[in-house]
Amino acid sequence: MSLSLPLLSAVAVLGLLGIGLLGLLVTRNLIKVVVGMQVLVKGAMLALVLAGKLSGQIQTGQTLALTVIVADTIVSVVALAFAVQVRRQFGTLDLQALSTLRR
Amino acid sequence: MPTISTLAILSIAVPWLGAVVIWLLRDREAWVQHALAVAFALAGAVAAVAMIPLRTESNVLDFPLGAAFGQVTFLPDGLAVFLAVVAAVIGSLAVIFSVDYMKGEKQLARYYAYVLFFIGSMVGLVLSSNLLVVFVFWEITALCSYALISFYNDDPKAVAAGIKALIITQVGGIGLLAGALFLFVYQGSYDVPTFLANAGKIPANVLALMAFGFLVAAAAKSAQFPFQTWLPDAMEAPTPISALIHAATMVNAGVYLLARFYPAFEAVPHWKLAVLTVGAVTALMAALMAVVSNDLKRVLAYSTVSQLGYMVYAIGAGGLFASQFHLLSHAVFKALLFLSAGAIIHAAGTRDMREMGGLGRQMPLVRIVMIVGGLALAGIPILNGFWSKELVLEAGHEGGPYWAWLIMVFGAGLTALYTLRFITMVFYGEPRGKAHVHDAGPAMKVALVPLALGTLTTWLIAGEFGAFLGKAVTGERPVESTAAVLTQVATAPLTMVALAVVALGLIAWWQHERLSGVATALGGIGTMARNSFGFEAINRGVIAATEGAAESLRGTQNGILNWNVMAILVGLVVVLAILALGGA
Repeated sequence: MSLSLPLLSAVAVLGLLGIGLLGLLVTRNLIKVVVGMQVLVKGAMLALVLAGKLSGQIQTGQTLALTVIVADTIVSVVALAFAVQVRRQFGTLDLQALSTLRR
Repeated sequence: MPTISTLAILSIAVPWLGAVVIWLLRDREAWVQHALAVAFALAGAVAAVAMIPLRTESNVLDFPLGAAFGQVTFLPDGLAVFLAVVAAVIGSLAVIFSVDYMKGEKQLARYYAYVLFFIGSMVGLVLSSNLLVVFVFWEITALCSYALISFYNDDPKAVAAGIKALIITQVGGIGLLAGALFLFVYQGSYDVPTFLANAGKIPANVLALMAFGFLVAAAAKSAQFPFQTWLPDAMEAPTPISALIHAATMVNAGVYLLARFYPAFEAVPHWKLAVLTVGAVTALMAALMAVVSNDLKRVLAYSTVSQLGYMVYAIGAGGLFASQFHLLSHAVFKALLFLSAGAIIHAAGTRDMREMGGLGRQMPLVRIVMIVGGLALAGIPILNGFWSKELVLEAGHEGGPYWAWLIMVFGAGLTALYTLRFITMVFYGEPRGKAHVHDAGPAMKVALVPLALGTLTTWLIAGEFGAFLGKAVTGERPVESTAAVLTQVATAPLTMVALAVVALGLIAWWQHERLSGVATALGGIGTMARNSFGFEAINRGVIAATEGAAESLRGTQNGILNWNVMAILVGLVVVLAILALGGA
C-alpha cells in the first residue's frame, strides 16, 4: 500500500471536512463559526479537484473549484461584516445569547 | 377567420390581460374599472363562444415548455369547449351584475382582477390536455377562490372561510398532483388523450391509485362528502362570486375531472361504486342541511353541494351525458338563483330569511326569475332542471344499485321541500324586516334575464348537446335526438315516481304546520343537520391536532447553530446509510 496522491488528497478532504464540521458543532463564537465554515469549504474544494482528477475531467473539477472559491469568499466577507455589526449592535458574539427564539 | 388554437389562447389570455390591466390601474375611477372588467369579460366570452363550431377531437397548439412540463397542449373538444363557454358566459354575466352589486365598494381593482384571473384560469383548466398544466390551472382557480372568499378582509369570518376553502381544496390537489406524477412515470408524458386511449398499459394497482387520487381531488373541489364543509362557509364572498365560482364554474371542475377520465378508470374495481356512493351520500346530507338552514345564501350553497352530488352520482352510474346535462342546467339556474339572492340581500340588507318576507311587491322581476330558478331546482316540468334531473335518476336506476336510487329520489323530494321553503320565506307572508327595500338595479336585471331565459330553454337542445359533447362523453354509442331524449324522459314510469316524490315534498312544506308532529319526531335529524353532521367538529379536531403537533415539535427549532449542524450531519448519515443499504 503505497501513499499515492489521490489517497493523500482523500485523507486531506475528509480531515478538512471533519475539522470544519467539528468547529461548527462546538463553537458559539460568530467569528469562529465563519472560520469553521472556511475550513469546511476548503475541504469541499479539494474534493472537487480530486473528483475531477479521478474522473478524468480535470477542467470541470478545477472550474467548479474556482467557482466555489469566489462564492465562498463573498459569503465569508458578508458574514464577517455581519459579525462586526452584531458586535456593535448587541455587544456580544455568543450565538446562544443572540438567539431570539422562545425556548 | 381565427383558428381554434388562436381562440383557445385568446379565451385564456384576454381575461388574464384584463386582470393585469385593472390591477395596474389601481383604484382611480370606479366607472373605468367596471367598464374595463365588463369589456374584457365579454371579449373572453366571445372568444370562448367562437370555439363552438371549431371544436376538434385532437390536440391543438403543441409547444414545448422545458423538460418538467413536456409539451403544453390544448384539447378543445366538445366537453372542454362546453365548460369553457359556461365559465366565460356566466363569468361575464356575473361581472355585469357586479357593476350594480359592488357599487361604492372599496378596492374594486382587487375584486375585478381576481375575477378575470379566475375566468381565464377556469377556461385553461378545461382546455388543457397536459395533466401537469391542468394541475397548475386547478390550483390557480383555488387561489382565486380563496382570495375572493376573503375579499372583505376586515371581516374575520370571511378570512377564516377563505383559509378553510384553501386548505381543503389543497388536500384534494395533492390527489391530482400524485395522479399526474404517476402518469408521467408510467407513460413518459402528461398527455391526457394518450392516457385515455392506453389506460390499460398502466399497471392495475397504479391505475387504481390514480383513480382514487382523482376522486379525492374531485371531491374536495366539488365539495363532496367528506370535504363538503368549505362551500357553505364560502358564502362570505360577495354574491356574484358565489354565483360564478361556487355555483356555476369552479365547483364543477371536480365533476369535469371525473367525466374526462371516466373512460380510463371505468374498469378499476370499486371505483364507480365509490364515486356513486360519494355522490349519493353528499346529495342526501346537503339536502337535509338545506331544509334546516335560515341563511338564504347557505341554503343555496347546501343545495349546490346536493346538486353536485347528483352529478357525481350520475358519473358513478355511468351516465356521463346525464351528469353533464345536469351540470349545464344547474350552472344556469343556480347562477340565476344566486344572483337573484344577491339582489335580494343587497336590497334587504340581511341574509337571514327570518327577517325577509313579502319582498315580492317591491321586486317583481327578481321574484319572477327567482321562482323560475326555484322551480328548475325543484325539478318541476318543463324547466331545464326537471329534464336533467330525471336523466340523472334514470342513469342511476340503470347503472347503479337500488338503494342509491331510492336515496336520490328521496333527495329530489327534499329538494322540492327546501326550494318551496326559501321561496315562501323570502317573497310571501308579512314583511318581517325593518329596512326600506329598493328594487334591483339595471345592470342586475341585464344579468338576470338571460339566465332566466336559459333556465326556460336549455332543455330544448338536449340532443344537440349530446352530439356536441362528442366522443369524450358518449363514447361509441350513437347520439339520440332531442325528441328521443325528451320522449324517453316524459314516458318513463320512473319519471312519474320521481314527480310524485317531488309533489310530496311540495305538499310537505305547504302543510308543514300540520306536519309539525312529524317534524318533532324527526327533530334529532334536524339537530344533526344543523350541526352539519359532526363534520365541523372533525375539522376542529384536525386543526387542534395539527396545532398540538406543531407545539410539541417547537422544541426542535431552538435556533442554536450547533444543534442544526448536528441535525444536518445526522440526516447526511441517514441518507448515506439508506443509499448504502439500498444499493446493496
